[in-house]
Amino acid sequence: MPFRKLLGWFKGFFGKKKVIRLGLYGPPNAGKTTLANKISMDWTGEPVGKVSEVPHETREVQKKEKVIVKVGGRTIVMNLLDMPGISTKIDFEEFMQYGFSAEDAKQRAKEATKGVIEAIKWLENVDTALVIMDSTKDPYTQVNITIIGNLEARDIPVIIVANKIDLPGSNAKWIEEAFPQHPVVHVSGLTGSNVNDLYNAIAKHAK
Amino acid sequence: MKYILDKVRENKILVMEESLSSTEEAKLIEETMRSISEKFSGIEVSTLREKSDSGIREKIIKLLGGRTGGLTVIGPSKLIKQIKKEPKRISVLADGNSMD
Repeated sequence: MPFRKLLGWFKGFFGKKKVIRLGLYGPPNAGKTTLANKISMDWTGEPVGKVSEVPHETREVQKKEKVIVKVGGRTIVMNLLDMPGISTKIDFEEFMQYGFSAEDAKQRAKEATKGVIEAIKWLENVDTALVIMDSTKDPYTQVNITIIGNLEARDIPVIIVANKIDLPGSNAKWIEEAFPQHPVVHVSGLTGSNVNDLYNAIAKHAK
Repeated sequence: MKYILDKVRENKILVMEESLSSTEEAKLIEETMRSISEKFSGIEVSTLREKSDSGIREKIIKLLGGRTGGLTVIGPSKLIKQIKKEPKRISVLADGNSMD
């Protein structure tokens, strides 16, 4: 770790712009891919991945490289990493409720478990993390605490995103009270509301 | 981890008088994912830490192989309907019965 920091400083000193690996973390259905698509469309004109109501739609890390964000007088080059949602349980029968056959549901569940493992392994390799939470739901869950705890243990900057503020029942203050140690940005990845605040937060906190 | 998952897969709910670290929690999730099958769909887990585990006292205790207190509840997700977590309390709803 100290060597990586020294190398980063060295590159910064000699003017080589560092590419920030920005990981989008959170539980399933928090709106990670919707937000990733919004960011990617804003700065590259292309989406990152597919969105659906069915949990665990993202089952592999979706990458968009060299996304150049210009905000607040700063230019940030980042690799956008849309992670599979992290969960402690995956039940194939839940997918069948969305119309999947038993065989397809089991395959989806198998892929989803691999996706969770991949997302956890990537915790070692992101430079900055957005932890996305559905602002209509209780944020004080073990999954959210585990994600944030692991990022803190690795000294990785965390920006918490209170997403879905467009929905009735949204309560972003709940999230601020649950995690007062990190900046919280209120957005709607779907409508784009307040997404500029998110870009400013990334410019301020990313390393 | 193996002991914990073996017990949970036997349909048992474990209550441990110690908290898992964030790294251990992530490892538990990883191992749970590897264990998921048609018969075992995962776990519900909640950890309470007594206080910050970054103080000097806590570091010395851990260095000597000890634990710094706390509480962890882990059970099969099919048995535990809900775990509600608050800063100083865990509430478990298991198969129609609730306990704090």
